[in-house]
Amino acid sequence: MTALLELENVRAGYGSTSVLHGVSLSVLEGQVVSLLGANGAGKTTTLRAITGGVRWTGDIRFAGRSLRRTGTEDVVRRGIAHVPEGRGICTELTVDENLKLGSHLRRDKAEVAKDYDRVFEYFPVLKERRRLSASTLSGGEQQMLALARALLMRPRLMLLDEPSLGLAPMVVRSIFEIIRSINQTSNVAVLLVEQNARIALDLSSSAYVLEVGRVAVHGASAELQDNESVRRSYLGY
Amino acid sequence: MQEFLQLVVSGISTGAIFASLALALVLIYNAMGLVNFAQGEMAMFATFIAYTLVNAGMSFWIAFPVTMVLAFGGGILIQRVVIRPVERAPVLTLVIITLGLATLVNGVAGFLWGYVPRSFASPFSPDSVDLGGVFVSYRDLGVIAVSGLVLLAIYLLLQHTTVGLTLRAAAHHPEASRLLGVHVSWMLALGWGLASAVGAVSGMMVAPILLLEPNMMQTIIIYAFAAAVLGGIESPLGAVVGGLLVGVTVNLAGAYIPNAGDLQLAFGLGIIILVLILKPNGLFGRAATRRV
Repeated sequence: MTALLELENVRAGYGSTSVLHGVSLSVLEGQVVSLLGANGAGKTTTLRAITGGVRWTGDIRFAGRSLRRTGTEDVVRRGIAHVPEGRGICTELTVDENLKLGSHLRRDKAEVAKDYDRVFEYFPVLKERRRLSASTLSGGEQQMLALARALLMRPRLMLLDEPSLGLAPMVVRSIFEIIRSINQTSNVAVLLVEQNARIALDLSSSAYVLEVGRVAVHGASAELQDNESVRRSYLGY
Repeated sequence: MQEFLQLVVSGISTGAIFASLALALVLIYNAMGLVNFAQGEMAMFATFIAYTLVNAGMSFWIAFPVTMVLAFGGGILIQRVVIRPVERAPVLTLVIITLGLATLVNGVAGFLWGYVPRSFASPFSPDSVDLGGVFVSYRDLGVIAVSGLVLLAIYLLLQHTTVGLTLRAAAHHPEASRLLGVHVSWMLALGWGLASAVGAVSGMMVAPILLLEPNMMQTIIIYAFAAAVLGGIESPLGAVVGGLLVGVTVNLAGAYIPNAGDLQLAFGLGIIILVLILKPNGLFGRAATRRV
């Protein structure tokens, strides 16, 4: 299988502060990959580099084409849905309008309608609240909305930045079940940034652990889970 | 009572003009977080273009949409050339730039057309119609109808089209919108284009009432500011309601308070100050909150 997303020796930072010191990783078509590490290790910056939110050097390739000098809007249009830190919900708009923003670039109307049905099957609460302002949703519901919107973009790759942040354990579990289901039924690849290593490793097949801007450990998720020294020193459980 | 109703109707007519310009201010406020101090001058300039077209023999009803289209293009051009290079500059820089733009547009209009006031023929009949004892001039009705249609069109565009949706998303949530594939920078330019076109309507509607000259909009813009602030500076609907309220208030005050004619502009400024003290978010604005 060829890699859908490849990062090669990516360096990035904010102003004069560099955060990534040469990160290389790859995500295969349809694969779930965890990106783990402590606060400040560069997980979010890695995702931001992919979608052009931060300047980078090295190379990032998506589906065989480099993303160099490609603006955020155009990276996204190539098939990457990025659910950012804080979820990126448009709180000035209604739930429905947020969903529409997910599908607004698509011309395959019939398929869009099907995707809406699926989304409402996964998240019935969003259907009930379609007309309400997105600002009225709880944290868990906003995370659902962000995922639903990303799904409606029908991406080939989803970048999820801490989907568990600030949510109750029950909600986290159901959201991860849905991520798994989305991955399996639509063959969407997922690059998952998480603090909660245990639940991320359960979902992913491969994982990278970042430490101050470098890949410290890389391997199959199951191996990392079984490796006690890795778990203790990097994953904290 | 009849006189009162007549004053209310002509107040609504004046208010519709304020509403158009106030909506233009709100559209740009949403796009860049700042009112465009050159909005009135841009409207004046567009009105001069309409005047030139009409003088060249074009019918007003053709010159009107043509001017709107030209103003739309001009608004986009100004955003691309003048505003975009300084998009990330501090607010004060942008304030100075739009003030400079106002002076520049005013000066260019003066250079091209001079400062002698010109009369701009009204496209509406000077007669009045008797609506149950209340005499309403066709001119007032015409201004209300034209402004109302333009405002309705903008409302439908913003609320019921995909372009309108992406425009609103880009204005309020630029970062999130980019991640959804919205070309934010072009959406902001589109906001400028729309604002410029709506502003042009206010100029073309007010020119037959005042006289056309480069400083024509300088009092109107104060009322438009009052209307926008009253409505809540971020709310398009608020701008329209605010515009109508300001129009009616100013009209009634001018008629019923003795010798108030000279003070009308002070009423406009008074409204701004009162709203900012009593209800800083206006009638339709949300409280400015920030999640921590």
